[in-house]
Amino acid sequence: MSAFLDGLLTALQPGNLAALLAGSLLGVFAGAMPGLSSTVGLALVLPVTFALDPTPALLMMVSIYMAAEYGGSITAIAIGVPGSSPALATTFDGYAMTRRGEAGRALGISLFSSMSGGLLGTILLVVALGPLSRAAIAFGPAEYFGLGVFGLSIVANLVGKDPFKGIVSALLGLLFFIVGLDVLTGAPRLTFGTNALMDGLGLVPMLIGFFAIAEALAAVTGRRRSTPPGSGIAGALPKARELFGLWRTILRGSAIGGLIGAIPGAGATIASIVAWNEERRVSKTPERFGTGLPAGIAAPEAANNSCVGAAMIPLLALGIPGSASAAVLLGGLTVQGVAPGPLLMTERSELVYALYAGFVVAVLLMLAVGRLGIPLWTRVVRLRSSILMPLVVAISLVGTFSLRGNAADAWAALFFGLVGFAMLRGGYPLAPAVLGLILGPMIETNYRRALSLSSGSHSVFLESPISLVLLVLAAVSFAAPAVRSRLISGRTRALDTGPDTHEGPGTHEGSDTHDHEPRREEHE
Amino acid sequence: MIGFAAPGLAALALAGCSPSGGEAAFPSRAIEIVSWATPGGPTDLLSRALAEAAPPHFDGRRVTVMTRQGGAGAAGMQYLQGREGDPHVLGVFTASGTVNMATGRIPFSPGDFTPILRIQIDPFLVAVRDDSPFHTLGDLFEAAHARPGEVSVSGFGAASAHFLGFARLRAAAGDPDVRWIAYEGSADAVVAALGGHTDAAHTNYNIVREHLRAGTMRVLGVALPVEALPDTPSYAEQGYDLTPVHWRGVVGPPGLDPALRAELRARLMAAIEDPGFREYMERAALEYATMADADAFGVWMAEEVATSRDMLRRLGILDE
Repeated sequence: MSAFLDGLLTALQPGNLAALLAGSLLGVFAGAMPGLSSTVGLALVLPVTFALDPTPALLMMVSIYMAAEYGGSITAIAIGVPGSSPALATTFDGYAMTRRGEAGRALGISLFSSMSGGLLGTILLVVALGPLSRAAIAFGPAEYFGLGVFGLSIVANLVGKDPFKGIVSALLGLLFFIVGLDVLTGAPRLTFGTNALMDGLGLVPMLIGFFAIAEALAAVTGRRRSTPPGSGIAGALPKARELFGLWRTILRGSAIGGLIGAIPGAGATIASIVAWNEERRVSKTPERFGTGLPAGIAAPEAANNSCVGAAMIPLLALGIPGSASAAVLLGGLTVQGVAPGPLLMTERSELVYALYAGFVVAVLLMLAVGRLGIPLWTRVVRLRSSILMPLVVAISLVGTFSLRGNAADAWAALFFGLVGFAMLRGGYPLAPAVLGLILGPMIETNYRRALSLSSGSHSVFLESPISLVLLVLAAVSFAAPAVRSRLISGRTRALDTGPDTHEGPGTHEGSDTHDHEPRREEHE
Repeated sequence: MIGFAAPGLAALALAGCSPSGGEAAFPSRAIEIVSWATPGGPTDLLSRALAEAAPPHFDGRRVTVMTRQGGAGAAGMQYLQGREGDPHVLGVFTASGTVNMATGRIPFSPGDFTPILRIQIDPFLVAVRDDSPFHTLGDLFEAAHARPGEVSVSGFGAASAHFLGFARLRAAAGDPDVRWIAYEGSADAVVAALGGHTDAAHTNYNIVREHLRAGTMRVLGVALPVEALPDTPSYAEQGYDLTPVHWRGVVGPPGLDPALRAELRARLMAAIEDPGFREYMERAALEYATMADADAFGVWMAEEVATSRDMLRRLGILDE
């Protein structure tokens, strides 16, 4: 404990505190800008950290990482475009709540859940560093395959009223992931002989295309009014009672984020979608998820912030970066002469404790920076869509380009914009395709790796207890919606007609309920 | 922060190597280092360390790293190739680049760039978890001869520099059937060996350094003797006569004036002697490996492409 207090004193020194604050501001910005992410924010400050001492350098980086995970939810909630991929699941209920005129409430719930998740993830990091790092390396090809299949089974809850269209969407996502170099053979697949497709179609261009460009196209062609009207948006924050009432959801979300975040390569995007889905599964009213439920925001936001602390577990204990952001962090540490690994805790304990304390301070600064920003964001939401949407598209395209300095990514975003627009018009939900693109590579490469190691025997997936449990969970999760709807088909139909009237005002949507159908169908 | 150290002084010190004549003196503006590597990865770090150390040796001009990723590096290389004759744009080339040239994954050849200075090598090694039954490379390959297809080695990529580094070692051991399990990154490949999912990992020293110090991993053999690993026998000492290494160096756009090329090389040589750069090399556990002159680096690159191509043909990955 006294080591932690020493760490806290270190983190609160003026120079270190300034580094933490700078990191929080930059992190919220990088997270909220569609196209930018915590990884890009970290890469941007990497040269700056060269000039700093190890402690402030490290603190600035963790604070960016932490704040960016909340930042992503700002755009997800305000305009329905995930600011970074871990905020994807937050768009489901967050944007629905904004459309109902409660942007302030949604942002408040996200901020509180992000803070709680961030703190719980830090506690997990401090108390479970050793055991969780050992558990993380137990994940081999068979286990990753199980996790990927389990993640994909969530599609069953995202397909909406027409399972056929949902499955087509998921298959499209799986088709898109194939594009690029095959990791296991190095052979190009579906690149049509062009070098630009060699690195595959990225998740960020897809998110930008689907959620910014396709929506803007729909708005322009008058098919959908995808941004809320100027009036009726309240900046009112949620009541403390409501926030604390979410404690069970936040605990569950943080636990899921903590466990998945500690597994190298799984990541916050998968964790937050799984958290949203689990929350829906345990809910008494699963069919209302996606219509703007507080729990639908709290679960993924607690999960993606809890992932930050958890991602540090393999990094600190084993020197293994668990995420793209952690990889940049590792690069920064290397330059500072700090070598994470089994000996870090004994040799550099003062730095590790300063890092722990820095996490706590970073979370609190994120809360302050985030709270100050809410009035601004609720004003942005009030902009007319004819002004807001072109702005969003322009910013998104610039963000997509700056991600890798590659114009091909902006073209890919435009391509996905057209695909997404066509899918929206046809009533195909978009989320399953995103899930396919994220999980496809994990499932395919690990399936082939596992078989290569087992000389072609499939029993390897059943012999591993972790993989077996995950595959059984996947089967249950996949079958559950169908079984449930057969059991209570009458009740579901009754609820379908008026979820909004039950949940909140939502009257401004009354006139164009039909136009909003496709988007909402994703989650019902 | 990028330093603007006393430009006058630096210019004075370097006056001897500035080209004389009617052309504007070099450098006439900021220097760009194009980076096509993963942010935070070893190649990106080299670019950034160089950008940090270079300004005093480039008359105080700013040196910036420009990220241009995509197409397995081709996007950045294409940009560099398009800046013909411009000494203000540089790039960091690596063993991965020459392997990608050999496979045809990127549509370039060494002749599309002007080699300037090879900076560092990063020898390959084979590491196992501390409880592994293998203690030498011989143990690993004997087991593979005895149980074909049952011994696995994880490493970065397929038809990559790592893959070919190991393939050459395996060929020297009489081509036992060792299974190569490709991973997305070198660290992922080490996790696989640490978790007991594969029998060994093919990687670089700095990635396993902490595990070696902690005793959680051991090295079976290293391509070249590494100062930090005095007790680990090299490939050659174990009877495998080859020295596959990962290397990184600076190239310029095509058509660089020979005088400018020599000057760039001299300035870069001075930059990598900078204390800050030396510290980076030490911390990242990398070894200096500058060559006699820029031409030697060019010959090296061409040889690397040829060696890789031979190996890929031998393995049937590339058509004759």
